[in-house]
Amino acid sequence: MYDIYFANFRKRVPLTYEEEALIKSYLSVKKVRKRQFLLQEYDVCRSVIFVEHGLLRSFSVDANGSEHIAQFAAEGWYISDLFSFLTEEPATFNIEALENSELVTISKLAHEELLEKCPKYEIFSRILLTDAYVALQQRMNANISKSLDERYATFVANYPDITQRIPQHMIASYMGTTPETLSRIRRRMASEK
Amino acid sequence: MNATQTIAIIGASGNMGGAIAKSLVKGNYNLLLQASQNEKVTGLVSELVAINPKASVEAIDCSFEASWEADIIILAVPYTAEKEIAEKIKEVANQKIVISISNPLNETFDGLLTTELSAAEELQLLLPNAKVIKAFNTTFQANLTTPVIKGEMVDAFVAGNDEAAIETVSDLVKTAGFTPIVAGDLTVSRTLEQMQLLLIKLTIKNNYNWHAGWRILLDN
Repeated sequence: MYDIYFANFRKRVPLTYEEEALIKSYLSVKKVRKRQFLLQEYDVCRSVIFVEHGLLRSFSVDANGSEHIAQFAAEGWYISDLFSFLTEEPATFNIEALENSELVTISKLAHEELLEKCPKYEIFSRILLTDAYVALQQRMNANISKSLDERYATFVANYPDITQRIPQHMIASYMGTTPETLSRIRRRMASEK
Repeated sequence: MNATQTIAIIGASGNMGGAIAKSLVKGNYNLLLQASQNEKVTGLVSELVAINPKASVEAIDCSFEASWEADIIILAVPYTAEKEIAEKIKEVANQKIVISISNPLNETFDGLLTTELSAAEELQLLLPNAKVIKAFNTTFQANLTTPVIKGEMVDAFVAGNDEAAIETVSDLVKTAGFTPIVAGDLTVSRTLEQMQLLLIKLTIKNNYNWHAGWRILLDN
């Protein structure tokens, strides 16, 4: 239920049994079904979600009703609307389960109490935020400076296990392109191999 | 629009569990009706879908699985069964709202089985990392079906230690058709449980028809 959560934690910061028990007491576990929402736009995002099993996505919806996918999160990944979580302003993103999933969630209050009570948790949170920032910088830079072919290659490299689990139109949405263009890129890359 | 919350009603085959399910089915909730055997709640599931065809309602036989999926857990089991259930769901109830509706009545309905602590506080000790909220214990089953008596909306008292959880449960109580009254922290459950004992004793003594309820009269 928390196996991957703590394995992921220990990879970055080692924990004693007592520290693990303390952190566990602040976590919540939740099972969700495919197509269930964890967060809806305009609602305040009250938790950070870790995926123990399954697959989630976050996305915004534009004025024309088109979806724009910001992030996918499979086993071992975190997902949230950090802007809303930190500021308590309405969320920009929706978070939806793409598969039946098992999650570990931490609420804002629990997160803040743990930051106070558990220095290891604070270190871990800092690493997590730094990683998220770096990932964001890379994604932003790729969007403004790299070709679609390069970006698709990066996506497949970053998400090797889940490329097969995500419908093509969602990958296209994540890349900011159309399914038709993505399909041309895939054909081209396959023929170059 | 909020993401739909999932409510697990543990012991949905009982009178109170079924009545609570019916009073919540018009709200924006996914309802998981837990009973030891699914057959015991299949009738209830069809009744609920008849009330609200769009409702998301499902029978489930395992209290652990139901609580794992839930955001809010309603323990609609007798006081004497709470300990066993609490042990089963402890791990998946962490940081979740658990609603204690029970009154720890003795077999003759003229006293309480608890001594110092209320049933709600005992439950909080059994589930130390859950947010236990007392609610729906001062309402009879008939109130849930008809929360208005002679034109007056029945009050429903809510007690607990977590502010956000109290707010969520107050919304739920409103959805069920009652006026939520936040009575205080979880220790106030002692009074709330005594209040219902009194109402039960009076109902028996004075032959009220089990459709009596509490209402604070206000001059404004």
